[in-house]
Amino acid sequence: MLLQLQHLTLGYADREIIHDLSVSFKAGEKVAILGVSGAGKSTLLNHIHGQLASVSALCAQSQGLVESLSLYHNIYMGALARHNALYNIANLITPFTSRLAEVSALCDALELDMPPSQLVSRLSGGQRQRVAIGRALYQQKPLFLGDEPVSALDPAMADRVLELIIARHETVIMVLHNRAQALAHFDRILGIADGRLTLDSPANKLSLAELDEFYAQASPDQVDVSGYVAGDLPSNVRGDGA
Amino acid sequence: MTNRLRFIGRWQRLTLSLWALCLLAFILADTEIIALEPWNELGRMLSGVLTPDFFATEQLIDALWQTVSFALLGVGLGLIIGVPLSLVYHHPIVAALCAFIRAIHEIFWALLFLQLFGLSPVTGILALALPYGTTFARVFHDILCQAPKVTYASLPYGSDAVSRWLYGKVAHVLPQLLAYVRYRFECALRSSAVLGFVGMPTLGFHLESAFKQGHYSEGAALLILFIALIGTLPYWCKKALLPLYFIAALWFLPPVANIDSQLIWRFVSEDIWPQAIRDWQLGELGLAAALGQSASWAFELLQTQALEGIGATLVLAFAALGLTHLLVCLLLPLGYTALIGRIGAGAQRFGLLLARSVPEYILAFVFMLLFGPSMLPAILALGVHNAGLIAFLSGKNIKDSGLETEGCRGLDGFGYQVLPRIYPGMMALLFYRFEVILRETAILGMLGVATLGFYIDSNFSEIRFSGALLLMGVTAMLNVAVDAIARRVMGEQLRQPQRC
Repeated sequence: MLLQLQHLTLGYADREIIHDLSVSFKAGEKVAILGVSGAGKSTLLNHIHGQLASVSALCAQSQGLVESLSLYHNIYMGALARHNALYNIANLITPFTSRLAEVSALCDALELDMPPSQLVSRLSGGQRQRVAIGRALYQQKPLFLGDEPVSALDPAMADRVLELIIARHETVIMVLHNRAQALAHFDRILGIADGRLTLDSPANKLSLAELDEFYAQASPDQVDVSGYVAGDLPSNVRGDGA
Repeated sequence: MTNRLRFIGRWQRLTLSLWALCLLAFILADTEIIALEPWNELGRMLSGVLTPDFFATEQLIDALWQTVSFALLGVGLGLIIGVPLSLVYHHPIVAALCAFIRAIHEIFWALLFLQLFGLSPVTGILALALPYGTTFARVFHDILCQAPKVTYASLPYGSDAVSRWLYGKVAHVLPQLLAYVRYRFECALRSSAVLGFVGMPTLGFHLESAFKQGHYSEGAALLILFIALIGTLPYWCKKALLPLYFIAALWFLPPVANIDSQLIWRFVSEDIWPQAIRDWQLGELGLAAALGQSASWAFELLQTQALEGIGATLVLAFAALGLTHLLVCLLLPLGYTALIGRIGAGAQRFGLLLARSVPEYILAFVFMLLFGPSMLPAILALGVHNAGLIAFLSGKNIKDSGLETEGCRGLDGFGYQVLPRIYPGMMALLFYRFEVILRETAILGMLGVATLGFYIDSNFSEIRFSGALLLMGVTAMLNVAVDAIARRVMGEQLRQPQRC
């Protein structure tokens, strides 16, 4: 058992965001968390990160990229804990060749084909997202926590990047909006509505139609439209049609 | 009508109240124009400008180099003082101490250190480094506080504190920090030149003597060189060359005369104390009587010099602030290339360079010839100089915003897109500059405008150090108070000092 949450309630002084939520995660699971905006997904994910900080790499929605640093340095930041302060300072002044090679290989895998010296302030939205993912991957942790990390990528690239993330981590817990991606790449799907766990099912027991149903119930007038068009479905969706 | 009034938002209200206050100050100020038949003198000045004499003094190059060298070493030492202080600036005592130190103008620090170290480079460098270092402390702290905090969440668990701080915080704002140091170096060049007015071997020394003696060709040459020095700053002040400059500045430093520890001790133990305390030290007076007499001495000094000085300083500063705001509003659109065209904007940039490079002292001197001795020349000098600076910095903001290239053309683009975007930043700059204007009234005190600076200067020249120090304290308190009020106006009062 990786983490067991029981009767979890989270919120700020005036507002509860997560109500009495119980869920557990096992090592090796690939979990997608779905839900409409404001349902409490990010709050839950941040709580999980707080509990498992030492074994997890968080790829937050805010990305935390440093505009005035290069692509290389932004990804290298994932390795800060592996080196001492002097090494990190020296690397800030001029990159170490061996680290540069590692980061360049990671950039290739993420299809970031600009020079690693490029400042991130010059990158597009999708490129920035992949840099943020690169930093989390470079942490080389067993658990990947992602908060909509591929929302700005085109569907085909999003699929490739998700595969890369899943291949490099024992356990993945990821907040997603795209139902098709959740079904295609993850083996367990959680649905959060209004701060409560309303869906917890193996992915292969769910269909797109059932997920649509879940979204419609979660908030009838707030159906998420960013998901997909039926024709876009990747071929490897394991939905059983229903 | 009421519906229309609703459109008068926060910035409009602020602007209108600012104008009202400044108008009041302008009415209170002594702005009588006393025609002195200035045309003769002005004519000679103009012909001096047209026939600059670059070979009048053999010390020209030396003065130029000394100006650069003092500025460089002053900023360098200022950074050594300011960077560590910025890390503990959230502590109220540190903040108060820094506010006090930077509230006192370089000139006063120089006057003070002159008594201690004489005409030694130590005087000039310390006079720059103290106020600059404490300013760095505050500004660096503010900039670091603005750095986004989101990066910390994406750093790996167990990163050491130094790496987290450098990569997660400093890296975010490094360009701003460097830009600020660069900007302060330009300020330091001006300050360094101004230190010449109290006897340091920088440009100001030669400028003042040239202008006072009516050697306008020589003065013009010095001024042109100085403006060229500041105008070409981006070309000669390269990061790679800085270490070289530093070594040269240290190497070619004028010999530091032996520091006379006896003199310093006498200054600290005797000179700076009121007469009554010295009498008590000598045993000629009881302690109670000495304290009583000192209190009444201080009270009288505050009543006669400090109050009048504060009044004149505030009136001058507010009138100058209003003029600055008006001039900036006029000058800004003139620098907008999309509105005015390339040539017009280029002319504006050159005008701004002139306005912000010529020391206020020289501007006031010229205006005084024109309008006679009143507060008007001082108001004009401060207004023109600061408007030049604020319009220059706001113009840079316009450029950085990228609006100009986004096709916001004409007066519509300027009024609807550019001005709303930069106005808050411009006002923040203006209020910050008010602190500077207040400090700069000091220099104009040396020209005879009866500000606090005037009284401090006369106390120093009459060797009444106790009075000078008391008035310096009053000046510092006034600046700290005004700064606090300005921050309140900008709505910063709710922010608790935070650790960054």
